Amino acid sequence: MKTKNPSENDGALSVLLREWKVEATLPPRLKEEVWRRIQHTQVPASSSVWVVIAQWIATVLPRPVLAVSYVSVLLAVGGTFGWAQAHQETAHVKGELGDRYVRILDPYQAPRE
Amino acid sequence: MKKGVLILVLGLVAAAAAYGCVYFACTSSARTLERSDKPELAWLKEEFKLSDTEFKRVSELHAAYLPQCREMCRKIDAQNAQLQKLLATATNATTEIDAALAKAGQMRSECQRMMLHHFFQVSQTMPPEQGRRYLSWVKEKAFLLDYGMNEKP
Repeated sequence: MKTKNPSENDGALSVLLREWKVEATLPPRLKEEVWRRIQHTQVPASSSVWVVIAQWIATVLPRPVLAVSYVSVLLAVGGTFGWAQAHQETAHVKGELGDRYVRILDPYQAPRE
Repeated sequence: MKKGVLILVLGLVAAAAAYGCVYFACTSSARTLERSDKPELAWLKEEFKLSDTEFKRVSELHAAYLPQCREMCRKIDAQNAQLQKLLATATNATTEIDAALAKAGQMRSECQRMMLHHFFQVSQTMPPEQGRRYLSWVKEKAFLLDYGMNEKP
């Protein structure tokens, strides 16, 4: 299939394009403003871990599956730490009470009034 | 961003709440023991799974033993004071010091005999298995002390 030159097919369009003149004026200091914006957008890309974390919080964390997993894991971690600490505390208190029982009964260890 | 931060905070709050709830629930038995009238006896009841009747009997034995213990404490303190007085001025071993040391040893022996008698009485009040466990535990606590000899300097 032979392709035709668009300028031959769209002669009218070509004429119109040749006659078209841009009358709008560019805003003042456009070039500087464009470069300023480019520089501004480039800064976060190369910045610290905090920005990456902030982006992760803003974009990834709100996903339902991840959000539910995150809260569940923290619940489990909190519960486990609570249990471990309580277990330790209870063992300490019971050990102390056992020692106190023997101290009360042993005249060589009994607290003096 | 707001939603993400909210989830982040929610997770942290959930962790703190889970920690608090589990800690509070799991330490409730220890708190109950500490708040009781006689915490060491309440501990004994829980540790050796005593029924109310057994616990009542153990408490009676405990109450009957305490005056004997106090009397023994008084004798030990008097004997120690006498020994310290003799040692303070002594430059050689004297017959008085020998006698005081012998009396101190005799007192320790009497004290251990009294304690052991009480421990046997208490163990016999408990169910056999718990009684054996109690005796094993209390003998280790009261009779196998190393008096700091295994402590590192």
